[in-house]
Amino acid sequence: MNEESRPMLVLREIYKTFGSVKALKGVSSEVGKGELVTFLGPSGCGKTTLLRCIGGLAKPDAGDVILDGEIINDLPPDKRGTQMCFQNYALFPHMTVAENIGYGPQVHKWKKKRIRERVEELLHLVLLEGMGDRPIDKLSGGQQQRVALARALALEPKILLLDEPLSNLDANLRVLMRASLREIQKRVNITTIFVTHDQFEAMSISDRLVVMHDGIVEQIGTPGEIYEKPSSEFVASFIGYVNILNGVVRNLGSETEPAVISTELGDLQVLRSEDDIEVNQRVFLIIRPETIQVRPYGEATGINEFKSTVITSMYGGSTIKYTVDIQGKNIVIDQFDPSNVGIFGIGEKVTVGIPQNVHILKK
Amino acid sequence: MNEVAEAGIPRSSRALWQSIKDFVAARTISTTGIILFLLLATFLLWPLIAVLIKSIAGSEGFTLQHYQNFLTKPYYYQSLINTLILGVLTTSVCIGVGFIISYITIRGPRFLRKPLKMLALLPLIAPPYIFALSLIILLGRNGIITKALNLNLSIYGFSGCVIAQTLAFLPLAYLMIENSLSTLNPNLEDSAANLGASQGKILRSIIIPLVTPGILKAALIVFVMAISEFGNVAILCGRTPFLAPDIYTIVTGIEMDFSMGSVLSMFLILPCAVIFVIQNYLIKGKGYTTILGKPVAAEPRRINPAILIPFLLVSIFAGGLVLLTFGIVGMGTLTNIVGVDNTFTLNHLLDWRSNMAMMNSLRISLLSGFFGAIIGVLLAYVIVRGNFRGRTALEGIAIAGFTLPGTVLGIGYIFAFNKPPLLLTGTMMILVINCAFRFLAVGMEAGINKLHQLSIEVEEASLNLGASAATTFRRIVLPIVFPAFMYGFMYVFMTSMVSLSAVIFLVSPGQNLASVFIFQWANYGYIGLASATTYKLIAIVGASLAIIQALSRWTGLRPTAGGGGA
Repeated sequence: MNEESRPMLVLREIYKTFGSVKALKGVSSEVGKGELVTFLGPSGCGKTTLLRCIGGLAKPDAGDVILDGEIINDLPPDKRGTQMCFQNYALFPHMTVAENIGYGPQVHKWKKKRIRERVEELLHLVLLEGMGDRPIDKLSGGQQQRVALARALALEPKILLLDEPLSNLDANLRVLMRASLREIQKRVNITTIFVTHDQFEAMSISDRLVVMHDGIVEQIGTPGEIYEKPSSEFVASFIGYVNILNGVVRNLGSETEPAVISTELGDLQVLRSEDDIEVNQRVFLIIRPETIQVRPYGEATGINEFKSTVITSMYGGSTIKYTVDIQGKNIVIDQFDPSNVGIFGIGEKVTVGIPQNVHILKK
Repeated sequence: MNEVAEAGIPRSSRALWQSIKDFVAARTISTTGIILFLLLATFLLWPLIAVLIKSIAGSEGFTLQHYQNFLTKPYYYQSLINTLILGVLTTSVCIGVGFIISYITIRGPRFLRKPLKMLALLPLIAPPYIFALSLIILLGRNGIITKALNLNLSIYGFSGCVIAQTLAFLPLAYLMIENSLSTLNPNLEDSAANLGASQGKILRSIIIPLVTPGILKAALIVFVMAISEFGNVAILCGRTPFLAPDIYTIVTGIEMDFSMGSVLSMFLILPCAVIFVIQNYLIKGKGYTTILGKPVAAEPRRINPAILIPFLLVSIFAGGLVLLTFGIVGMGTLTNIVGVDNTFTLNHLLDWRSNMAMMNSLRISLLSGFFGAIIGVLLAYVIVRGNFRGRTALEGIAIAGFTLPGTVLGIGYIFAFNKPPLLLTGTMMILVINCAFRFLAVGMEAGINKLHQLSIEVEEASLNLGASAATTFRRIVLPIVFPAFMYGFMYVFMTSMVSLSAVIFLVSPGQNLASVFIFQWANYGYIGLASATTYKLIAIVGASLAIIQALSRWTGLRPTAGGGGA
């Protein structure tokens, strides 16, 4: 394998147990050079433990952490070429911004002049020029976040480990910092692992996602792959799908003919993609809320059309979110641009159209 | 809601009724405030002023003669110098060793943390003068070690005092430093290690700078305790002059020189006052908050042996001395004359004088606990809810009373309450009042703490729902401050049980206290009786501490560091 195509980080069958809790049950993954990969999952899924295993703050019970071709399992954190950014930033509160950023170089006995230059360069990178003399507690949350980032980058690590770095910021700042973080990461071209439980954050920042659940990897893929083809019910619901139907395949259809799947709503015609399903197979149907049509009550004559009643109607500016009742099953609909059909109130009867191209997931 | 409430009563009469209620409520609080102020002034300020007056009063009015005597007679100013040196030495060792033990109990090997912590805190349940007892048993003129090794040394003097005071206040230093070290975010050390810093470097550049405010606070309190605590020094000083025991000797001995006693008291107050000011105005609120989000417990790192081994040795040595002390005083309790006649006996434990003194101590401590807690909680309410001038002064006086050396307040009470209308000397009441007022600040602080958690809106909501001010106080305020009351009660009770330095001036022959008996017996060489009575105090204080712990878990109040039994 040549230098270029070799992944920066390889995780091979990592296991970790805390007492009786199995935090990691054989996790494997790869991260390419310069890539930003997010470990995504609910709290307790093992994502932070995995990050700490990579950073050397926790020791895996079994498995290998391979960084840049070298097994680093037994190396202490400072000999690995990894650099961790903590959720609470862990800035040294008794030092200035510059002293924080220069701490690593100073420990490594760099020359004063070189330290100063490096600190200036990093302050420029994280847009904090001229703030080197500020004490830490005079900075905003976003600025502290960037100081932590600069401090971690000071020694040019091979890989940057970010543990929920944006979770202490308020909503608006999170979105801004997310963009700025991504930009800095691309500019420095540093391989980065980002841990979060926020699927929107994960989708918007990452090259690839590793979705974790209960100590195992559920799915690895680009944000688009994960969103469009979730590989399990867990992934589908975790990344925000609310409309998941249980179905049984009745008829396979063909290249041109839709398959027929009977569900809680009734029979649905579904265009098959490459999914290899069989007759009588039990499947999940995953339907994105924004693909469902809603129109004033009328004869349900079209394909996949159903009569239903509005249960909730929430006006949200650019979208209206409805919950409707079809045969006793609640379906969530996001409607953009209601101008041509109008807004429906609670209790109103409507006709709902389910699209033919929905994602089929084998049970 | 509003419509229902306003239905029957016209708006104007409702408003009038409300304003009457407000008026009465406001007056109730400020009247209580005035009464409390008078009480504090009488029982904390007046004795202090009495000492000051005594020190500057001559036969023909104002004079500085006594101060001149102090400065010209080497014996007296030597006493001040000795006291300050004792304070500095005790404080330095306590802080150094306290930090080392804290480091081991927080970052050290996991299996050692709990036992070492328990051992370091163990002396808190004993009266501080237990260390004087064990030193006498081991290294006194007939001490076990002295005789076994045929040593020609005397524990009576400077070194004995330093050793005893250091061991006595190590738990306090440890408690405060541990408190500040344990709130240090371990991620800071992880980050520093990740950036390549060695453990020595982390200690120097991260840990020590960050706990310095905590260390400074601990140092100030230990210093005050070390110079003002009376028992150890009085028992062990021999012929070396120190302020606290000298005040006692001069005032109660053959000299009966009240004026010089007062001058010495002023010099004892001086360093305490300086420190009180530093504590409250210079370093209050300084410190670092290092935990911003949720801290992740670090997996224990292996500590560099060059740090671990010396730290462990120091910790184990200090812990060993504590264990040795408890063991040896236990032996003193259960043998005829420990080291001389080691036959087992229960005589010391069953001695009627000891038991009578215990009963007296219990009676007085229960009463002072009760009064101290009530006044403390009332003070808290008035300080938090009142809006008259001088609220902070009330709090300040109470805290000053708490910080003041007991010895000073002891002779102050003699001067202040020896003639009508405030003739209290020789009564049991004077002991109760002295203990209650000296220690009520703890209940007050706990009450303030609790009341700050209860927003005024909660009381207003209760009034708004139609409850009277009295009902509101009973149903809303009392349940909230009750834990603070209990906490204050237990604290005053506990400290009164072991307290020696003030009450020793105030006891009269009919009603001696356990702590005073221990002191006298230790001085006369009745080690068995002194040890047995000490162990009884340990049993009572230990039980009380267990109750306090349960209380603080229940109420979320942290025990106030800085108490002790001076």
